[in-house]
Parts: sequence; structure tokens; C-alpha cells
Amino acid sequence: MDRRTFLTAAAAAPLALGTLAGCTFEKVDRTGGGGSGAVAAGSSNKVTVDPYNAENQIRIAYVAHDLSTPNNQAWLEGIQRECSSWDNITIDSFNGESSAETQVTLMADIINQQYNAVILQCSDGAALASSVAQAESAGIPVITLNLDCSSDTVHSALVMAVDYDAGRLAAEKMAEQMGEKGGVAIIQGVPGLTRTDNLERGFRDTIANYPGITIVGANSAAFEKEKARTVMEAFMQQYDGMTGVFCINDAMAEGAALAADNAGKRGKYIIWGADGESDALTMIENGQMSGTIYTNSWDEGSTAAKIALLMIGSEYNYTVLTKTPQVVMEPIVVTAETVGSISQEDRW
Amino acid sequence: MRGKFSFNTYSKPIILIAFIVVLWLLAGSNFMNVSNIGSVLNSVSVIGIMVCGTIFVFLIGGIDLSIGALLGLTGVVCVEVINALGATPGSVFVGILAAVAVGALAGLFHGFIVTTFNIPAFLVTFATQTAFTGMSMVITGNKIVSCTQPPLFTGIAATKILMLPLPIYFMLLMALISWFVLRRTVFGRQIYAVGGNPTAAEISGINVKGRSIACYVLSGVAAAIGGVVLASMNQQGMASQGADYVNSVITAGVIGGVSLLGGEGTVPGAMYGTVLMGLLTNGLNLMGVDSTQAGLVTGVVTIAAVALDAAQHLDQSKRKAGGLFAGLTKRKDVAAS
Repeated sequence: MDRRTFLTAAAAAPLALGTLAGCTFEKVDRTGGGGSGAVAAGSSNKVTVDPYNAENQIRIAYVAHDLSTPNNQAWLEGIQRECSSWDNITIDSFNGESSAETQVTLMADIINQQYNAVILQCSDGAALASSVAQAESAGIPVITLNLDCSSDTVHSALVMAVDYDAGRLAAEKMAEQMGEKGGVAIIQGVPGLTRTDNLERGFRDTIANYPGITIVGANSAAFEKEKARTVMEAFMQQYDGMTGVFCINDAMAEGAALAADNAGKRGKYIIWGADGESDALTMIENGQMSGTIYTNSWDEGSTAAKIALLMIGSEYNYTVLTKTPQVVMEPIVVTAETVGSISQEDRW
Repeated sequence: MRGKFSFNTYSKPIILIAFIVVLWLLAGSNFMNVSNIGSVLNSVSVIGIMVCGTIFVFLIGGIDLSIGALLGLTGVVCVEVINALGATPGSVFVGILAAVAVGALAGLFHGFIVTTFNIPAFLVTFATQTAFTGMSMVITGNKIVSCTQPPLFTGIAATKILMLPLPIYFMLLMALISWFVLRRTVFGRQIYAVGGNPTAAEISGINVKGRSIACYVLSGVAAAIGGVVLASMNQQGMASQGADYVNSVITAGVIGGVSLLGGEGTVPGAMYGTVLMGLLTNGLNLMGVDSTQAGLVTGVVTIAAVALDAAQHLDQSKRKAGGLFAGLTKRKDVAAS
């Protein structure tokens, strides 16, 4: 079977990719109706192009929420690695500068320039929903990363790290490390974002199963290391009974750990993050942090690129979907005991 | 009247003390201890360091919107140099010098462009703000650059003297130097003269262009020192690190009574504004105020502080002029004569 045949015959392409990437795949429904999910509206002007034919110039746009963050950089590197073997495939990265408005403008430009596919981390799922629908209608497959756009906007795929389960796994391990007693505080990201909210919900739901542990407080540090330092300093003053801190991402966990260090309290608090970026893994090795939920973001970017290439070469488009297919990346619980299992080449 | 208490004279310390007492009552015993006061001052130390340099630009009636981006750029330069030289103790000194040189050059550029081509400072520094962030992105490849070694570098933020973190002492030292320069030197008095009336200053023989350029250089150097301290605090350099600081620095100055029109303001006033902002943030955190409401409270308190300061100035102006209608009466007198 040649590559073209493979591409066009891959009716369950994302499912296959999920297997390839060692991921969990959920909710694939290509029957075109009957499901409870929203049905993709409108038509598509998609033109099938073989991305592996050197004569076809393929352009994939990657629109990041904030290109300076390790996660966004790792996704970009994963996308670039996946496509590096083909000279005819160009990856253009665009920085959303943490602004949904900027991303909307970028998406309009990308649609006008007729890119072959878009890999997008929505800054705001609702604000980007229209742009995603326009791109799909224009025949440009959209693969979202981590944060879905509005649930009724069906698009080619969502590749995501676990969110609710990450919170659950962190809570279980933290409870164990805290001896199932004590007070825990939460340093939040930006409230209202699906991933942030789900992570926190998973954590709170699970901690509620441990009667000896109380959530003493929560405050936002907007995903920023520096703000997390300030919030942690206040927490240390405010909550005498606090023995653990759960941060929605690793950057904030690093900030909290630095605040504890500066107060001469390294090791006094069980500090957890979620993401698995290399600096956090180093801090776990140094005893500054207690753990994180690791996701291989290079693989996540690579998986998104694989799906993009499959969709470009496939005769299928979003109109046959009743719900956006999801590829969920495998989470790994990392503690001081297990951090050595994450090899250097897998640290992003 | 000699010996009569004047609220206007002591308003800032009175408001500060009242504010502390209110927070003490609301936030409980956790608020008023050395550790927490150290945290408050440490959290605003970078803002304090920056405002000590930026006040010079404010006083000549200029503005430097690039200081946030410059904070990020100088932090990135410092960290990159340290890493490139093997993170040795010597590399820390080279890194700091490089950062300060970048800050000074940026200030020199601003001052030269603003004074030579008479372009509004806000336009020039608004443009360089983007350029500096772009430079940081190019240098770092738009990545976060970690710098956890050597201890001499991380110690800039982590070292404590008398239970207080070192950045607080940097802030106090910078404030002392700025206060001395502005209050006790000819250069300082010339800055006030340039800000109050540049034409009159020029006629009286002051090198307005030279003084203006010097002010922008001082602002750039202060931003660079802040950049090094912030990089040490976060143990990393990053293009967007410090982007929000420009608002905080301007707010601290304005709360402290520094006029953005020039010629008016003091270093103690600016430090008052800085500390007030830190107390407010800390108090809200200690009271467990949700971040969604914290912005609203901060905004309201900021407006109240600025309005109070403006009301005082109005009152002082009236007293100097001999009452609200004194100016009108005088003008009528002149017209009649």
C-alpha cells in the first residue's frame, strides 16, 4: 500500500495516531449523525494534497498562546521534528502573545494565505471558535492543542494533556506524601480556562476523599513564576497549618519553591506542579519540589503534526465528524523517586 | 503659623501608618512581623529600584515606557553572559556590567533621539519597548534561560542581612543615592528647573539637552539593576519577564506625588507609593481576597491615593495664590490699571 492509499484509507486515522503516540484516544464518531454531540455545520472547500510528494509545497501554521513558554516551545520543536524529513513541508510559528484577539487576527491571516493546516493552542476557546470554524470551512484542518475551542465547534482534532486526571493524580500522591493530613493551598492559573479549571476540579474532588487534609486557601498567580513567589510568601504568612501547595503549572510551582527556599523552608512544604518541564524536574531532583505530572510535550506537538499531515492528505474533512476527536497524552507521575526515569532526551 | 500641625506636610507618613494599621486589623497578626514586612518590601524592591531612576525622567517632564522591556532585556543579557562564561563567580560581575552597559546605552539612545529630533518621549520609548522585547526574543530564541548557578548570582536575591533580603538594601541604597543627587547637588536642582520650565532653564544657562540625556541614562541604568535583581529572584532570563513593571513604576510614582508633567516630585514620595502598592498587594493576599476582586480593590485604592494627593496640591496652590479667586482678582487689577 503506497503512502497515498494509506492516507486516504485511514478512516480511523486519529485512532491510529493515538496508538502510534502511546496515547489514549476518545470519542471518534465519523458516522455523520446519531450522536449526542453537535454536528459540524456548513461545507468545506478542502482540497486533498499529498504532503509527502516533494512537488507539493505544504505550509502548516502553528499558533501558540505564548511562544516563550517551555510548553509552547516544546510543541513547536515536536512539530518541526515530525516534519523535518520533508523539505517541501514548511512550519511557520506565530506568537499569540497570550491574547485571544491577537490569535483571531493571526487566524484570519492564515486563512487568507491558504495554509494547508493549522495547529492552534487557543488562548480562549470561545473567542477562537469562529476562527476555527472559518478555517475548517475554508478547507484548512485545525488541530487544537490542550485547550479546545467551544464544544459546538467541531474541528479536525484536539491533542491534549490530561487535565482533570492530572489534578487527581497529583492529589493522590500529595496526600500520600503528606501522610493524609495537613493543610494544602492551591496556586491557580487564570480562572475560566478549561484546562486550569479541570485540573483544579480534579485536585479538589480527590483531596475531598482525605478527611485529614483541608484546602486552606487558593489564589491566582496567572501561570507566572514571579507572581507565584509573592502568593507563596503570603501563604506562608497566612496559613500556619499549611504543609502542601499544589500549583496548576510547573512555572508557578518553581516560583513557590523559590519562595520557600528564600524563607529557609526548603523541604517543609510538599510542592507540586503539573506539566513536567525540565526546570521542574531539576528542582524535584534538588529536593525543592516534591513532584509534577509529566507530559511529553515534544510527543504532543509531534502527534498534532502527524494528524495535520494525515488530514491534509485525507479525503475526509471536518464535516463528517459529529464531535471533535480527542487524543489524550499519557500522564506520568514524577516524584523524587521516579524523576530519574525521565531521560534527558525526553526533558523539554 | 509656626508650630501649627499641617496635615499636608505629613500626609504621606500619616496615610502610610493608617494603611498599615487598617491592614494589621484586617489581616491579623500575620501581617505585622519582620518576615512579612520583609516579604512586602522584597516584593516591591524591583519596582523601588526602577522608580529611583525613572523619577529623573518624570521630573524633566519625560516618560520612559521601555523600562519594562529593558528590565527583561538586561536580565536576559546578564543571564546569557553568566551562562556563556561558565557560571563562574567572575562571570557574575561581567554579566552585571554587561546588563548595566545595555541599560545605559538604551537610555543614551532615548535621550539622544528625544532631545535631538524633538520627538515625544512616549513615542520613542513606546517604539523601543517593542524593539527591546524583540531583542530579548532573538537572544534567547524566545525561550526561558535558566540560571541557577553560581551562588553569587542567586545570592543577589536569596541573601539575607538582618533577616531582610538583599534586594531591599539595594532599593534603599538606590533611594538614598537618588534622593542625595536630587536634593543635595546642583545637577538635581537643575533637573527640577528643566522640568519646571525648560525655556527658563535654558536661558539661565543650564544645558537642558545634556541634563535630559543624563536622566534617560539614569533611568536605563536603574532598569538594568532591577533586571539583574529580578533575574536572580527568578533564576532565569525571559523576554516577557518584567513586561508589567512599567505600569507599576508609573503608578508608584504617581501615587507618591510625582507629576508626569515634570518639575514636581520627590524620592521619598515615590518610595511611599512603592511601599503602599506592596502593602496593598500583600494585605489582599493575607486577607485571602480572590484575584478576581483584587484588581478592582487595587484600582480603587490607587485612584483614592492619587485623588488625595491631587486634592492636597490643589489646596496648597490655593493657599499660595491667596484663595480660589485670587488669580482672577489680580488679573482684574492688572486689566484695570
